[in-house]
Amino acid sequence: MSDVQLIQGNEACVRGALAVGCRFYAGYPITPSSEIAEQMVRLLPGIGGVFIQMEDEIASLASIIGASIAGTKAMTATSGPGFSLMQEHIGFATMAEVPCVIVNVMRGGPSTGLPTSPSQGDVMQARWGTHGDHPAIVLAPSSVGEVFDATVRAFNLSERFRTPVIVLYDEIVGHTRESVALPDSVEIVDRIQPNSDGSEFWPKRAAADGVPPMSAFGDGHRFHITGLTHGERGFPTNDPQVAEALITRLHRKVEAHAEEIIEVEVFMMDDAETAIFAYGIVGRSAREAVLRARADGVKVGLIRPLTLWPFPYAQVAEAAKQVDTLVVAEMNLGQLIGEVERAAVGQAEIVGYLRVDGEPITPTALLNVVASVSGGQA
Amino acid sequence: MSRNEIRIAGTGGQGVVTAGRILAEAAILSGGEATHSQVYGPQSRGGASRSDVVIATEPIGFPLADNIDLLIILSAAAYAKYVPDFDPDGQLIIDSRCAPESMNGDAARFAVVDTARAISGGHLVTGVVALGVLQAHTGVVDADVLERAVAARVPTQHRKMNLDALCAGMQLAGG
Amino acid sequence: MTDINTYLREWTMPHVLCPGCAHGIVLRSFLEAVDQLQLDPDKLAMVAGIGCSSRLIGHVDFCTLHGTHGRAPAFATGLKLARPELNVVVLTGDGDALAIGGNHMIHAARRNIDITVLMLSNAIYGMTGGQSAPTTPEGAVASTTPAGNTEPMFDSCKLLIGAGASFVARVFAANPLEMTKVMADGITHPGFSFIEVISDCPEYFGRYNNIGGGANMLSWMTVQDEGVAGPLSAKRFVNHVPITVLSPALATGVLEREVRPVFSGIREG
Repeated sequence: MSDVQLIQGNEACVRGALAVGCRFYAGYPITPSSEIAEQMVRLLPGIGGVFIQMEDEIASLASIIGASIAGTKAMTATSGPGFSLMQEHIGFATMAEVPCVIVNVMRGGPSTGLPTSPSQGDVMQARWGTHGDHPAIVLAPSSVGEVFDATVRAFNLSERFRTPVIVLYDEIVGHTRESVALPDSVEIVDRIQPNSDGSEFWPKRAAADGVPPMSAFGDGHRFHITGLTHGERGFPTNDPQVAEALITRLHRKVEAHAEEIIEVEVFMMDDAETAIFAYGIVGRSAREAVLRARADGVKVGLIRPLTLWPFPYAQVAEAAKQVDTLVVAEMNLGQLIGEVERAAVGQAEIVGYLRVDGEPITPTALLNVVASVSGGQA
Repeated sequence: MSRNEIRIAGTGGQGVVTAGRILAEAAILSGGEATHSQVYGPQSRGGASRSDVVIATEPIGFPLADNIDLLIILSAAAYAKYVPDFDPDGQLIIDSRCAPESMNGDAARFAVVDTARAISGGHLVTGVVALGVLQAHTGVVDADVLERAVAARVPTQHRKMNLDALCAGMQLAGG
Repeated sequence: MTDINTYLREWTMPHVLCPGCAHGIVLRSFLEAVDQLQLDPDKLAMVAGIGCSSRLIGHVDFCTLHGTHGRAPAFATGLKLARPELNVVVLTGDGDALAIGGNHMIHAARRNIDITVLMLSNAIYGMTGGQSAPTTPEGAVASTTPAGNTEPMFDSCKLLIGAGASFVARVFAANPLEMTKVMADGITHPGFSFIEVISDCPEYFGRYNNIGGGANMLSWMTVQDEGVAGPLSAKRFVNHVPITVLSPALATGVLEREVRPVFSGIREG
């Protein structure tokens, strides 16, 4: 481990990316993510990487997709308005199966909204923002240390499944400085290369796990990449069977490995009668509230997903069977609460604590909610 | 487990954000845990500025200030914004120009802004003078550690001025 | 000289083009340039956007990236910066390059990144059914300008020179040998090369404007003076077409050639 340092979440994101082998960054300035670009441009050139500030977020994501097709691990970072512009190419990267990492440091929206205030308003956009049926992998760190880990994991999952991975955190996690010791080395996963047995490379012929090997442009395989619906050889087709096979495979390769992707912190749930479901910075408040409530003898626990998509339905369902009340706390008007309701299927009362004023949900506020739903013991 | 929440509030250009970072880094140098958060706005100079530092002996759960223990006020606007709702059990340090004459209570008043102006000819080291005051008045971090943290954070060409400012702050508070 | 067919993915035939469309002539001229330069097919990446011209890359046996509408220069930028040894050629259309992708095009030109852009201009959106484009001459009929286009058209070469492209040329699909020469020139030029190829769309532009088929549309292109083409105006397409508003004369040949620092991103060295 390195020495303990005081760094921002956005800086930890850069450190994680570089540790796992990111060597290309393209981005467009936007608060509250710009520190990522400003750190990248200082650090990438010294380790053989390349930095470019593009003309907009559409171009930023296009250019990292180009870099990834050339065999380089690449990422971009943005916030809500830029994330909206990136939806086009999130779809392209999903369809063309190009590994890449997109960081969205959430601020208040819609539109330009609250540029310097935190929000969790992009949770559903991260899942469904691009058009068409598509899978999504979205990670939600809640601390500076977790931003480092999530960025490393995002690259590894992206390479493993040949799909874009989104790291989603809010302005507070991005900007707050915390004391943290970062690891010196991390696990690194690289995309599977095709066999070099002289046979023609079909870029979309998947292995048994649904993930096709991937060659890079310039490595000797001449192949075609397109956002049009295509067959295993990679060329466009309108064949209904081929179309269905492609779309279902894109889903299956992620959904069938949900257990490998999903991470959930389950905290003090053994005897809990009330549970708080919270993620990102709100997960920190919730954990603090649980500790304080426990000190007063209130039986409350925490379900904190570090993976938002695929959604941890099984873990939430299990918690719902056990507790009387599930408090869902989000800095939006109710986005994941709908998924919690789907998972709970009526087995627990679901209570939302939702906030959209650009201010954080504090431990004290959650403590009061827990007190009111658990009969005022706290 | 101890948790100490300190807010430094003033005006952009006073070095409030840097002072908060230095305080948090000093806490880390002392072997503790720390977080630092600031208010982001479109203005770099002249607007309201605020730095929150949480210092603890164990890993910090919620990283933002939730119940301020110690409030340092370096502008009249900050006084108006933060003092009315401040926990009466908390500790208050106010620049002597910023406290209204009618103010009651036992706030500690120090000539932070005037001292900074005497040293730098402007506002730049106001935050560091405040750190000196904070150190001598509360002992929240050790003087030598704070000095190291200041020296490590500020640009080399301004190091002497900042260390002078820190020292002057300590003297203001009788350190 | 190689059999040009070896550069094709023949199994992808038949191609997507309509009878009379000159895009095939353009592709042939490009492949002749590739052959003349003896480019390594493994190191030749073609990047395209959306449209009839962009679909051509599916038929050539290189590394081919069929991206999104208008964004080919941005995809190409990432590809080239990450792998500078690749020859990167963008194949695009006038709507792709100048309307939805205009921003990406001018910034790639401004940076002077070492890629070559071939813009096949047919003055209309062919793939979507004949809507007007930024290159549609004033007065011309398209499915979205049924009473004749009232907007001025872009002079793409002037635009790209203004944006800072270090090699800019305009050629005609009716002139295949000239096309090959200029394309080879553009590919070997260090920096951003932009070549507008005036092609045709008999199916929509020709039909809507009563110009006739591909042969008629190509015939006007042969009417040109030394270095300066006949104006890209309806009156020069063929005689007696019902378009009266003239568009400005468009210069042809190599219009800009300048050697200046090539952009390679912010990197070491």
